[in-house]
Amino acid sequence: MNTFRKILAAAVACMLLLSACAALAEGETVINFWHHYSAQSAENETLMNVLIPAFEAENPGIKVNAVSHEWAELHDKVLVSANSNALPDVARCDIAWLPEFQKMGILVALDEEMADFADVSGQLLDSAMSTAAIGGHYYALALNTNSKIVFYNTAMLEEAGVAVPATMDEWAEAVKALSGENANGQQVWGWNEPALAGWNICPFIWSFGGALTDPDQTVATGYVNGPQTVKAVETFAALVQAGAITGFNAGDIPMTDGFGTGRYAMMLEGPWKSAELAGAYPDVVYGTAPIPAGEGGSTSVLGGEDIAMFNTANREAAWRFMQFMTGEYAETEMAKCGQIPVNKAALESDTVKNADYAPFIEAIQTARARPTVAAWSEMDNGLQVAMTAIVNGEKTAQEALDELAAQWDELLK
Amino acid sequence: MIQKSRVNRAQLFALLLPGLLVFGMFTVYPIVRLFWMSLCDMRFSSMLTQPFAGLLNYRQVFGDGTFWMVFVNSVVYTLITVPGQMVIGLFIAVLLNGIKRFSVTFRVINYLPVVTSWVIASLVFRYIFNTEGLLNHFLWKVLGVTSGNIRWLDTRWSGLSVAMILGIWKGIGWNMVIFLAALQQVPKDLYEAADIDGCGAWKKFVCVTLPGIRGTILFALIELTIGGFNVFTSIKMITGGKPAHQTDTLLTWMYYKAFSTGQFGYAAALSFVMALSLGLLAIVQFRMMRSREA
Repeated sequence: MNTFRKILAAAVACMLLLSACAALAEGETVINFWHHYSAQSAENETLMNVLIPAFEAENPGIKVNAVSHEWAELHDKVLVSANSNALPDVARCDIAWLPEFQKMGILVALDEEMADFADVSGQLLDSAMSTAAIGGHYYALALNTNSKIVFYNTAMLEEAGVAVPATMDEWAEAVKALSGENANGQQVWGWNEPALAGWNICPFIWSFGGALTDPDQTVATGYVNGPQTVKAVETFAALVQAGAITGFNAGDIPMTDGFGTGRYAMMLEGPWKSAELAGAYPDVVYGTAPIPAGEGGSTSVLGGEDIAMFNTANREAAWRFMQFMTGEYAETEMAKCGQIPVNKAALESDTVKNADYAPFIEAIQTARARPTVAAWSEMDNGLQVAMTAIVNGEKTAQEALDELAAQWDELLK
Repeated sequence: MIQKSRVNRAQLFALLLPGLLVFGMFTVYPIVRLFWMSLCDMRFSSMLTQPFAGLLNYRQVFGDGTFWMVFVNSVVYTLITVPGQMVIGLFIAVLLNGIKRFSVTFRVINYLPVVTSWVIASLVFRYIFNTEGLLNHFLWKVLGVTSGNIRWLDTRWSGLSVAMILGIWKGIGWNMVIFLAALQQVPKDLYEAADIDGCGAWKKFVCVTLPGIRGTILFALIELTIGGFNVFTSIKMITGGKPAHQTDTLLTWMYYKAFSTGQFGYAAALSFVMALSLGLLAIVQFRMMRSREA
């Protein structure tokens, strides 16, 4: 028994000593950085083998401990860690998560605490930085961005004698003209829309000149049920009912397969789709174009990631790392792996100008972010339910959007 | 003598302690914590503070139209899949009980769906029932009995029906095995007595077999009812709740509320409502069985 106790005590002592050594090596500061670059990706390679070594060489005394998570897992992990006081210093967050995190009170208001915030954020795109602005303060730096543009099947448009639509009127005509049956007797659709959420419907609402809320994001009545929004939704729903738009039903052909096999003529998608198509359907010939312009211009939806600091962070070291990650060097390196930069200098580089995603950069300048409010996920669900009722003909667009506006007003309070 | 029994008791306690600890930590504590969560306004935006909210979450659950829709979905799913599995399972068990050869082969064949992974079976069902799936191809292009693709997965009841067919298909084997075991316990002399009384096969089944396996029927009924209310994987994989939650069931809706919108308080209240309904249902089922016994 005694011997066993001694061994146990010795083992515990060793473990304590080891962990103490690791943490305290020469007064180093360790920055914990959580991200969702997938572990096998080129982005992760660049992060681990190029960016972090470069940062550590520039900033002796700071070590970066980068941890890769799955996208959804990272979100939940942050919530759980907030409860148990085990947050990282810095994380790469989907822009949709920031309002939630901000409302939890775990993010640092950078414009308040960092003296040189204006200089740093001034180097980044305004449209992308708008995703980090919540209630008058900035809680993150934009890290990378994306948006959606029109992908069209060149052969299908040529066969139908349809030009690439430049306006929303032309779009509605084209979508209808491209639908019907192909030579094999299979049904084809002019447009694919894989869901009826804000990410899918907002580009239409905005391009038609509609809106979701007032600019301050405090009220929805008069905006999400305003005449322009209703017109956008009615146009969309009419095309669904005419059998010209599909993709959001459980039994539909998946988007990439449908587009790759010539069943969907057009779709609105992000830069990742090029790589997906090249992998799965290398033979399909397609072109890209901006989303057709309506009364609200050509306005797509903004996606992407921000880099945020948590309130338990070592402020100074974390801020340096955030500046590094959004700086020209790191943004250009990440641009080589397909991440669209938000750093204005990096956007001017040849790497970016010659990249596959060059057509997206124009769309990003005019694209808009979905509402940056904590209740967005709930609002988004309400929008999907309303859109489903409209396209299925259970309610008129005006009825469903009036109800939605009342619901959103409550959520925005 | 007294001292010895004390030692025995201490020994007993020491032996039970590990089990009790595990039970307490992983069953009792989570339930108590969950109940507390259901009384707090616990959502993404208040994870750190968790203010006490009384019955707010319960009011929200009962005042929510989507809750009632998914509740009805779960009830319908259970009402159809539970009798479906039991009747077909019992039928096959009776057939198997009567044959001497190939009994094992048939048992294995009928049990195979049970050991198939839910995820894989759900995916296969999805491919079969897709708008351009196997079934539509067969009905339209091979048999020619339809004149176009039917959108099986795109509406509330047809989407749920696909999940129900999967649920029944996958549950038959389990029912067959436990009913087969029960059938073999029914005393043979009762059948002989029934023969002497001049009972036909159906009469024997109703008057001898069914009362003889009553306990097993009750067991299966309760297990399957709980299972029916717990349906998750197939719904998630086949329709994903589309269109607009119309095919969601209690668990997929709870999952959505907790992990997609972060309303943990609502989800906790929902799980308590569900546990209570299941408890009540089990009591009712016990009562029904007992009153028949009397």
